[in-house]
Amino acid sequence: MRKTVRACLSLFRISLAENFQYRTSALSGVVTNLVWCFIEAAAFGVFFKYAVNAGFSGGLTLAQTISYLWVREMLLMLLSYGINDELLTKITNGNVALEMCRPLDLYWHWFSRITAGKVAGFLMRGVICFLIAFLIPGGYGARLPASFSSFLVFLPSVFCAFLLGNAYEMLVTAIRTNTTWGDGPMHMMMLLPKVLSGSVLPLQLLPDFLQLVLLLQPFAGIIDIPARLYIGSMAPSEAWFGMSMQLFWSLTFIILGKWVMSRRLKSIVAQGG
Amino acid sequence: MKEIRFYYKLIYMHILSAVEYKGWWLMLIHVLFYVLLEPFGTVMMFLRFGSIGTWTMERILLVYALAVTSFGIAKTFLRGFDTFPSKMVRGGDFDRLLLRPKSLFTQTAASTFHLYRLSQPLSGIAIIIWCLIKLDISLTPLNLFVLITALIGGTVTYAGVFVMTSGIAFFTVKAVEWIYVFTNASYQVTRIPHEYIPGILKHVYTFWVPMLVISYYPASAICDWNEPLWTGFLALPAGLVVFGASMFVWRFGIRHYRSTGS
Repeated sequence: MRKTVRACLSLFRISLAENFQYRTSALSGVVTNLVWCFIEAAAFGVFFKYAVNAGFSGGLTLAQTISYLWVREMLLMLLSYGINDELLTKITNGNVALEMCRPLDLYWHWFSRITAGKVAGFLMRGVICFLIAFLIPGGYGARLPASFSSFLVFLPSVFCAFLLGNAYEMLVTAIRTNTTWGDGPMHMMMLLPKVLSGSVLPLQLLPDFLQLVLLLQPFAGIIDIPARLYIGSMAPSEAWFGMSMQLFWSLTFIILGKWVMSRRLKSIVAQGG
Repeated sequence: MKEIRFYYKLIYMHILSAVEYKGWWLMLIHVLFYVLLEPFGTVMMFLRFGSIGTWTMERILLVYALAVTSFGIAKTFLRGFDTFPSKMVRGGDFDRLLLRPKSLFTQTAASTFHLYRLSQPLSGIAIIIWCLIKLDISLTPLNLFVLITALIGGTVTYAGVFVMTSGIAFFTVKAVEWIYVFTNASYQVTRIPHEYIPGILKHVYTFWVPMLVISYYPASAICDWNEPLWTGFLALPAGLVVFGASMFVWRFGIRHYRSTGS
């Protein structure tokens, strides 16, 4: 057990150092994120202007929504379009056999690799983009958190979001080791968190009768719950609820992922030579 | 002509190899969902907040769908250029193409093909038709002409952007992520009603890369919004200019290509 942890930690460090190499790439990513989110913020600005004139008030104010968008842009780095490229290549070209020869638990080995890939992207792309966003004028930029205590609960919540995002990605990876189905199932599974995490639209702007379900489903924990804590639409005193939801779903995905993986590895087909 | 037959052969090969996988059709559905998801936010906002002044949901979606369809066509048929930087330049696979006695342009364009990408232009066309019916626009020959030149012009524009990315990738190898600003992000801007687009974005997406020229102005010409009619005809010329410029960059890149692979 201790050996596995040590090995995974050093694997994590190696991958992290490797991922930090791509600095220019991250920089150009920051530019993309800034433009993208700026467009979104402008679109919401127009909507809110007209909605307020028409006497409508949704679950959020405009300032909260724009802040939400920027937090989301940062946390989006935790949510990938597919599974980790490196692992996908290993699965498709048969190198997974090589990975199985290592005297390591494959699940945690891959888990640490995925985490390392994301931490680098999150710090270099997400956080930097978020900090630059404070400089954007005209009310389109990021804002400070609702209060200091909001910020204090926001940080551990981001950590839980990390755990949750990775646990889900590992579950998808485990399913993807069945090579005969191709990329289809993987991409379908990756769509779920796209909609349900609030990455398309803040969940609180969706119809009211869905709100309870939206809060309890697993993917809210990846973006929505931390973002709510940041903008203050979830009070710091309710943070324990949000975070326990995040941890509960992380644990569920980890158990499921390990189970699927151990089953799949018994009948794995390694392609290639 | 020979090039087209050659292109078709390569594409056919990709399709055959793709349908070997049991779940290949899942990708069709996936892209369809994904494509419908992109304007989902806007549609939900319209449903909740109502129209923005004279801008109804149909108007926004028409402009949006014009841009998305062009983007989708270009991305489907020039997918090779889209994946070129990561696949060909960094891996050094481009060397192999240089050895073959066929056009580099065709070979690169057809080096990747994903049938499922067709979901995007097809759903885009469906949205255009739906909007035209909802807005009660009759398809006079003039309108049809504007519509078709807008789509061709748009496709050529996006094709130009993809080719230019590949040309630039010869020098930068990685770090072409910013090109998203001119591809995926560029049609997001059509979700904002034209008069509310922040000045800098309007400038960039009209004069640098003419995304509004291929979507908003033709739509305005067809539906008779308050832009001069002639601006609706600019899509094709603008597209050709972008494409010409990118062919120049592409050729320049090839001439200065140094292999990175082994």
